[in-house]
Amino acid sequence: MKMHIDAAFKSINKFKEELCGDKVQILRTENSTIAVLADGLGSGVKANILSTLTSTIIATMLQEGASVVEAVETIAATLPVCSVRKLAYSTFSIAQVFDDGRVDLVEFDNPPCIFIRDGEVMDLEEYSELKECAGKNVTESHFTMRSGDVLALVSDGVVYAGVGQALNFGWNWDNVSAWMAKTTLKEHSAPRLAVSLIEAVNDLYLGKPGDDSTCLVLKATPRCIVNMLAGPPVDKADDARMVHDFMVSPGKKVVCGGTSANIVARVLHRKIETTLNYADPTLPPTGKIQGIDLVTEGVLTLSRTVEILRSYTEHKTDAFYFHRLDEDNGAAKIAKLILEDCTGLKIFAGRAINPAHQNPGLPSDLSIKMQLLDQLASLVEQLGKPVEKTYY
Amino acid sequence: MEVTICIGSSCHLKGSRDVISILQRLISLNQLENDVELKGSFCMGECMNNGVCVCIDGERFNVTPLGTEEFFRTEILKRLGK
Repeated sequence: MKMHIDAAFKSINKFKEELCGDKVQILRTENSTIAVLADGLGSGVKANILSTLTSTIIATMLQEGASVVEAVETIAATLPVCSVRKLAYSTFSIAQVFDDGRVDLVEFDNPPCIFIRDGEVMDLEEYSELKECAGKNVTESHFTMRSGDVLALVSDGVVYAGVGQALNFGWNWDNVSAWMAKTTLKEHSAPRLAVSLIEAVNDLYLGKPGDDSTCLVLKATPRCIVNMLAGPPVDKADDARMVHDFMVSPGKKVVCGGTSANIVARVLHRKIETTLNYADPTLPPTGKIQGIDLVTEGVLTLSRTVEILRSYTEHKTDAFYFHRLDEDNGAAKIAKLILEDCTGLKIFAGRAINPAHQNPGLPSDLSIKMQLLDQLASLVEQLGKPVEKTYY
Repeated sequence: MEVTICIGSSCHLKGSRDVISILQRLISLNQLENDVELKGSFCMGECMNNGVCVCIDGERFNVTPLGTEEFFRTEILKRLGK
């Protein structure tokens, strides 16, 4: 079965540093996901440059089909040398996960990856071997992920969390992996896992991290498409065709827009039930149609959804962010569905101009809904999930 | 009696939430919970008019938050014969 790899990461900077010395790159190729975590020597600007170069070179070369050895040789030859330490150095972990679950993992000097299946930490020793690659001793592992498995890559800031402060010797790998294994039973999505680990790290450092700390989580999930119908078609005669295409497409179903909901209900001969429950006073309540997972109002809800997803892609994630994501309003529900329960989005967009949007209270641009859908599509693509759009 | 209030985008911006909460309060003040049922509906196609679209047994009215109390007296109470 083909799987989707849900990838998310979270970094915190060393206390008082503006730049992070850890860098993550996530790239998608046709049949695989490549994730690279690099941790540059030192901290601040120098570390940031080293890790950015390292992760970008590796990710770009692998994406273009180069081998890991070639990429590592290139790094060894190109990294600028630190004038203090006479070293050019950045640790890295490279995970390439194919959509059939095969994993190629190469690690150099980073803490070993944490592989979790069914809430248990799995020992990867029998799948790993030490190798020399361009003068560096790297660990190479080959194994297979199943749906539900979690692969976490962490920088050493995580393993040493709290050293000399809350804990004498830091959190250490065994405890980090055990904590992670336990947390996978509670938090199911990659973004939540990454953020909760880093929040814990920050707590152990008493809010003043002694080192840049990063957690990158890759979770194998079965494919789940979210279908979104938004906006009435230009030609009324296309109503039935649009609803038909939407209904026969497998996956979850979301209808955005009051008029669209009315069309769906009419074509399907089903009733819309609307609640008067204002969980959020600034957003209209949601509705219900039998067989549709979520029915919401249109532009106001979608613009909030775009806002929520944008603050995710801008890495403004913390525990409060997920609190907002868990709120009981239409916009948060769509955002949550897209962020955590979706591996691809199909948009069925009607291009009719809604007379309601002539209202002076709404922005003057008549194509506001189309713009919102375009913004939504580009954000979802940034999350590494393919988007397909059909216009009516 | 069924009173349906539009909660579509346009009416939402014109204050349907306020209209709903005022009506809810007036209904409980007058102890009419068993006589009047409040319902929501997505866009009813009356966006071009001033005020929120409110529908009583198929007849449509435009109600602003400020005019809600009067609407309650002249339309809802009258229909109930009170």
